[in-house]
Amino acid sequence: MTSIDIDAPGTSQLLVGNEAIARGALEAGVGFAAAYPGTPSSEILGSLAQVAKNAGIYAEWSINEMVAMEAAAGASFAGIRALAAMKQNGINVVSDFLANLVMSGIGKGGLVLVSCDDPSAISSSNEQDTRPIAQWLDIPLVEPGDFQEAKDMTKWLFDLAEELGTLCMLRSVTRIAHARGNVKLGKLPKKQHKAHFDQVHDLKNVMPTTLMPVPSSLRHYFLHVKIDKAREKFESSSFNRYVGPDKADLMVITSGNCWLYSQDAVKALGLENRVGILKLGTLWPMPEKFIRKHLGNSQKILFVEEIDPFLERSVMEIVANLPSSSPRPTFYGKRSGHINAYGELNPNMVIKAISNILLLTYQPRDVEYSKKAEASAKSNVPERSMTFCAGCPHRATFWTIKNAIKLDGRGGIVTGDIGCYSMGLGPAGFFQVRTMHCMGAGAGVANGLGKLGQFGFDQPVLAVVGDSTFYHATIPALINGIYNQSKFILVILDNSATAMTGFQPHPGTGITAMGEPTQAISMEALCRSLGARVEICDPFDLKSTTATLLEMMSEGGGAKVAIMRRQCELLRAKKEKPPYRVYVDTEKCIGEACGCDRLCTRVFLCPGLTWDKKVGKSKIDEVICNGCGVCVDICPQGAIVREAA
Amino acid sequence: MSRNAKGCKELFEEVIDVGLCTLCGACAGGCPYLVYYKGRIALLDNCARMDDAQCYEYCPRTYLDMNEISQKIFGMPYDDGEIGTTQEVLMARSTDSVIRGKAQYGGVVTTLLSLALTEGFIGGAILTKTSDDKTPSPFLAQTVDEMLQCSGSSYMACPVLERYNQIPKDTGGKLGLVAMPCQVLAVAKMKAHPPQNRVSINNVRLVIGLFCTWALSPDKFYQFLEEHLDLSKVKKFDIPPPPANRFDVFTTSDRTSFPLEQVGKFTMPTCAYCLDMTSEFADISVGAAEGIEGWNTVIVRTDTGAKLMKMARQKGKLQVDTLPPASLAHLKEASLLKKKRALKEIVKKSGDMNNLLYVGLSPRFTEKLLA
Repeated sequence: MTSIDIDAPGTSQLLVGNEAIARGALEAGVGFAAAYPGTPSSEILGSLAQVAKNAGIYAEWSINEMVAMEAAAGASFAGIRALAAMKQNGINVVSDFLANLVMSGIGKGGLVLVSCDDPSAISSSNEQDTRPIAQWLDIPLVEPGDFQEAKDMTKWLFDLAEELGTLCMLRSVTRIAHARGNVKLGKLPKKQHKAHFDQVHDLKNVMPTTLMPVPSSLRHYFLHVKIDKAREKFESSSFNRYVGPDKADLMVITSGNCWLYSQDAVKALGLENRVGILKLGTLWPMPEKFIRKHLGNSQKILFVEEIDPFLERSVMEIVANLPSSSPRPTFYGKRSGHINAYGELNPNMVIKAISNILLLTYQPRDVEYSKKAEASAKSNVPERSMTFCAGCPHRATFWTIKNAIKLDGRGGIVTGDIGCYSMGLGPAGFFQVRTMHCMGAGAGVANGLGKLGQFGFDQPVLAVVGDSTFYHATIPALINGIYNQSKFILVILDNSATAMTGFQPHPGTGITAMGEPTQAISMEALCRSLGARVEICDPFDLKSTTATLLEMMSEGGGAKVAIMRRQCELLRAKKEKPPYRVYVDTEKCIGEACGCDRLCTRVFLCPGLTWDKKVGKSKIDEVICNGCGVCVDICPQGAIVREAA
Repeated sequence: MSRNAKGCKELFEEVIDVGLCTLCGACAGGCPYLVYYKGRIALLDNCARMDDAQCYEYCPRTYLDMNEISQKIFGMPYDDGEIGTTQEVLMARSTDSVIRGKAQYGGVVTTLLSLALTEGFIGGAILTKTSDDKTPSPFLAQTVDEMLQCSGSSYMACPVLERYNQIPKDTGGKLGLVAMPCQVLAVAKMKAHPPQNRVSINNVRLVIGLFCTWALSPDKFYQFLEEHLDLSKVKKFDIPPPPANRFDVFTTSDRTSFPLEQVGKFTMPTCAYCLDMTSEFADISVGAAEGIEGWNTVIVRTDTGAKLMKMARQKGKLQVDTLPPASLAHLKEASLLKKKRALKEIVKKSGDMNNLLYVGLSPRFTEKLLA
């Protein structure tokens, strides 16, 4: 694989979209990069951190997106080009800072925010379009349509940010971020970074000056000036272009990955002479003149975009402001129902929309063949549901939570948030998680539930949170719960990793993004210093962990903390051999004759345990089993055996 | 009522969730799903099995065919009298003053158990032990000393049969059991239809049933006591005979009395629907001899019971006397009254004269009780 700092200008390299963005930042001379990991953005900082030492730049995994963005702004204020990258929900966390940052302006170092959306929420808790946030906060916004643009746009954005004196944003989506394509590289700058915080800034960057602070309303005015200037720049940007006949039967307006789908669709239909494509790369502020110039290309306009009708609304707004004598095209898109209003698109969906508008019949392939192909593909797919890995400590934790809640008998509630442990909503976590919103929300929601005693509420409340999420977004909620005496148990699932996004370090791990050792922040010391009762449990010890939770549930008082400490099984398995050899004693397993009703493979559901249909007994899948040995303690017949490996 | 296709779901719907559970423990401990915890039966996961729902089958509050069970235990139809099938009704007390000092009344239960153990009748007995914090829990006593530790009553329900279900099925020796009437009923059901996948019910060689008018809900009553007393100092509980109308708690140094109505609030709701005062399917039933302090009433019901009683007399372990006719009459009257009252409550609960919930008596006897 190509390292993103390869010094080979003019050559083409195969890069993942996120690497292309990182390379663009390197070519722009970025000095400071910060991010919190999250799909589909993680590889941007991941790849920058790998080359940071060699490239003489600084890269960090920040505690959360807000700090990442603020830290990057700090670097910008001292004249260093800086980048912050985040998943779609990250920008929500940062929005308070952003709303103020656009008013203050940035420093002398260009400042770029990369926000990566996840249409269809393939690996997210929600589906959200972050493009309207750029519009809402007046942030110049671009979106790459391929891998080359991902690199080139990123590089250009730093120049633009410095020229305008405002934060600029690049929006990417999963299919750009995680796909791979050829990128022609540019030069890497040789300049040395020199940071200095100037006490006096020009009016463009309304940072502390020797003058009186500028009133907010005036700063808003300056921002609008910057946006107008950005629009001017966008009018002539080569990232916006029209390809197609001068008089088309239909014009597609699109951007990003949807541009690729649109090209595929037009080609597949053989309509290059009838359908034109207006591809936009600079999305906000809209290049109005450029769009107006092309509006006459066709009487019919189809908007091809994912999630929100962002282009659709913006273009309609432009059309609404045209003189009354101007021709009014017919619009097709989400509003008309030709394009899905949620979820990802694909070329086939675009083909359908175009065929529908132009009254064409298009059959991509024979219906019978299609059915057979689908059946054949399905027959090769093993039956598996979404679940925790074999040996995952979360399974054991949810087992103890479930049993403790059932034994307690007051209808205990588990609030949660996002992470591997979100699977606690389903069979993997025995359907224990009842609420799942943004990072840290479980603890916040628990704060409210835990104060309802005066209204007759007696249900125990347990908020589950991952270790990385604990540092990211939970500490204020815990402090609130302790201070306001809210009755809940914060259950920290400490698997010593940001496991879901790829094992990035967090403040509990004692290592930085650049691989340097640092002082780990002890979560138990932190919680105890707040005055919370803290219990540290080994989730693999089902009996004592259940007893601890039960006892904590019955105790009065405010917020408490139970730390479930077991390293992520994937991390452990990378380093060492399984601790046990686990097998089923076929004499002791009496199969259906046992009163357990297949507790092991019907309820516990570790993928390492399978039901041997032929002999009607439980069986360990030795390939999948990681040898944690927890199932030994759930088998009522004692038929599962663990031997020290 | 069909019993074949019912499982834990129905057990909850028909028994536990409607306040009929006796906490006998017959459904718990035999599978990974049903567990006794602090005065409740908890269902840890749903069991999807339908073929072999022993939890439902052995519950003393699911359908009881009294005639069928009586046939299995006594070889004759159910005795439509007041106190069930009897061979002999006596009064007795232990000759051992240590046992008498510790026991609730005459110490007959502890004496019979230790005799059964020393004579090799049984290898151990599942009893109710009041732990240091005064919560009752099932205990498998295997020495005379351990049996002595279990003497005396806590008046609280205790899931004795969960302990039976937990005994590894291949390792159980000959067992004795001291049980409340509801628990004796569950054991009788097991004897009538032996359960699978647990220690054989044939290992239970001796069932000593206790007289019972009601039991206290362990968790709630425990909380109540805890609010009023230092439980670590409690030595004994007692309900002195009428007209005292009080519940006594003896500590090392003194006695605290509560009005019976106050304690009555913690009675298990299910006791109102119980027809059995004298553990009618036990080998021997033992209770207080009302009005005769320091003595027990003993009902010998089976040959096993008779054999043990005979041995106890021969070996001079028990002092035995005839129960005064007035006391016997009073016992029968009280027992019959419990049946009548319970059946009326059952009809009230079901709202239907023909729906007696779990009770399967002969139409003639049912009619007589409801009259």
